[in-house]
Amino acid sequence: MHTHIGKAIRMSDILSENSLVFDSTIASSIGAPEGMEDLSATLQQLTPVFDGIILNPGQIEHLAHASGGKNRAAPLVRIDWTNAYRGADFCLPVSHVKRIPMSNAQDVTDLGGSAAVATLFMGYGDMFEAENIRSISHLIRESYSLSLPVFVDIRPIGDHVSESNYEDTIQLGVSFMMEAGADGLIIPLCKPETLELIGNWSTIPVLAYSEKLISKSEFQSVIEHNIQGLVFSEAILREKDYQSKIQLLK
Amino acid sequence: MYSTSGKAVRMNRLFNPDDGKAVCVAADHGWMSDPTANVVNLKNILGQVIAGGADGVLMSFGSAQRLGHMFQGKDKPAVIVRADWMNLPRLGGANVSNVLPVINFRKMATSRAKDALQMGASAITIYYFIGYSDEFEAINIEQASIFAQECRKVGLPLIIEPMAVGGMVTGVNIAEILIASARIATEIGADALKIPYTGDVITFKELVDRSRIPVLVLGGAKSDVPRDALELVDEALRAGASGTVFGRNVTKAKDPKKMVEDLCDLVHGVKTIDQIFSPVEKGKKRRLRGISANCVGCLICETVCVQAHSVSFGVNRARLRIESKPVEEKPPLNKVNVCILCEACIKVCEPNALTLSEEGYIQLDESLCIQCGKCGEVCPNSVVLFDDDGYPIICDLCEGDPQCVRWCKYDALKLV
Repeated sequence: MHTHIGKAIRMSDILSENSLVFDSTIASSIGAPEGMEDLSATLQQLTPVFDGIILNPGQIEHLAHASGGKNRAAPLVRIDWTNAYRGADFCLPVSHVKRIPMSNAQDVTDLGGSAAVATLFMGYGDMFEAENIRSISHLIRESYSLSLPVFVDIRPIGDHVSESNYEDTIQLGVSFMMEAGADGLIIPLCKPETLELIGNWSTIPVLAYSEKLISKSEFQSVIEHNIQGLVFSEAILREKDYQSKIQLLK
Repeated sequence: MYSTSGKAVRMNRLFNPDDGKAVCVAADHGWMSDPTANVVNLKNILGQVIAGGADGVLMSFGSAQRLGHMFQGKDKPAVIVRADWMNLPRLGGANVSNVLPVINFRKMATSRAKDALQMGASAITIYYFIGYSDEFEAINIEQASIFAQECRKVGLPLIIEPMAVGGMVTGVNIAEILIASARIATEIGADALKIPYTGDVITFKELVDRSRIPVLVLGGAKSDVPRDALELVDEALRAGASGTVFGRNVTKAKDPKKMVEDLCDLVHGVKTIDQIFSPVEKGKKRRLRGISANCVGCLICETVCVQAHSVSFGVNRARLRIESKPVEEKPPLNKVNVCILCEACIKVCEPNALTLSEEGYIQLDESLCIQCGKCGEVCPNSVVLFDDDGYPIICDLCEGDPQCVRWCKYDALKLV
């Protein structure tokens, strides 16, 4: 139950019983990957089938015409920049992972965003984590007065995260962000047990992040764990016949 | 599409609304490096830049404050304010050409979007350094993001200048870095880019296509030959660039006004490069002059002559002739034989197959030519040759841009 009617209305633009959200923001880290060269054209295809599109602030400004609108994907604005996604195939090697705020609640509201999306990186060390939490807490306080929902995208990808503590780290991130006051969470598509635990425990909507398209039955089982939908990365654009596969999920 | 009309209106002030193109001149060098002549004479140079018809001029906040009065009027260039400062030109202990070299690379935000707006600016420009270190890039992104937010608030276009600089940048990855950085700048909130040329049309087109906002190509370091600088712009335009930002190639040019005029002609599609550099103008007869004393006998002139006319290599069909003399003779050892436009061939041509064009070069109408060969006989320098069918091969000054003059680096050929 949202105390702010503004938040409730904005959240309802994004969430349904089986929400599908597309994340286009990787380009701020690595430039335009395959399929994202002409984001405007890509969005024209995606906005009718998705419930939300996560955009960088620069893109929503130029592509306002391609996002939002009745029965079309609501624009969510990612408020932070990172070099964490630069892999071995990127032209510049990364030696120190950075996360920098590139927008704020007022800016997101001015841009017409239905929600702000902040990233919580986990496993990059104490100082990094502390600064990340401070920054997200500040955003949540700032957004409160504007009735702007804040989604936190939990990314357990630091070198302190291994296979053995991966699922627990996700749970830790969920706990932190519920305590911080987030309005929604995005977690990696993890083991069913973890999804079930988080789905039953969380009092705020949770979306699962997937690098690839999944089948209708797999999606159904995710939803059954009280997860409200999926966030797909740009990697799905490189999958064959991705549009009709997404349509099937709806 | 812009979220505020302020940005759209100011973008139209900078980019010509008819063609979406802009010629800008960067005159902010005094803000970051030594006070060279172009910095000291800035007011005079800007006067010439404005007279040349530039669409925009990039200046520091202080210069904009002092010289802003020069930009009053609808026909004057838009003011772009440099909103940050850096010390890259002075970086490195070995950089002895600078008065005061520095050791640590620094970049500072120095003006706010609001300040620039008060100054009457149509945009601000900031750097985005990538490749130096992760920390430095993060600082750049943070500053750029703050500027982007401010600019959105006040409706002022933000021009981001990605620069690939540092130990991690090599000849192999620089194009890729520039392409990625251009898109990253768009994602942060740039409204236009000011960016170095990647080196070829294909990669620059990729950069333009992926950035999805207007791209202004940099002129780069001062070029000795103006044509080289303009050819870079020509290539960038072919790749989809929306114009250029020229700095030292204008402010240090012998004739800044002419340089800006040429850039405007090229960018706004008034003239092609060949037309700009065509030394042969209507009603003004010019001819080749060979300076044998300078000739080293490399035969590059003959080679490019053949290549320019028949897309093949070799010297037997060249429209000029380098005659090498035996070493025991008096210097010069090489005699340069060129068409001196004496018009003897034209006068002897009874069917009027040979005429002098309006632009001042000899032209052949094959339909009138009777292959009599008289033109070759009367040529005083024996530079009229004949093809296999008996038609004359005569110097046409490459229709205005003689390649032999362009390629001879010993000044043995001139257009006079």
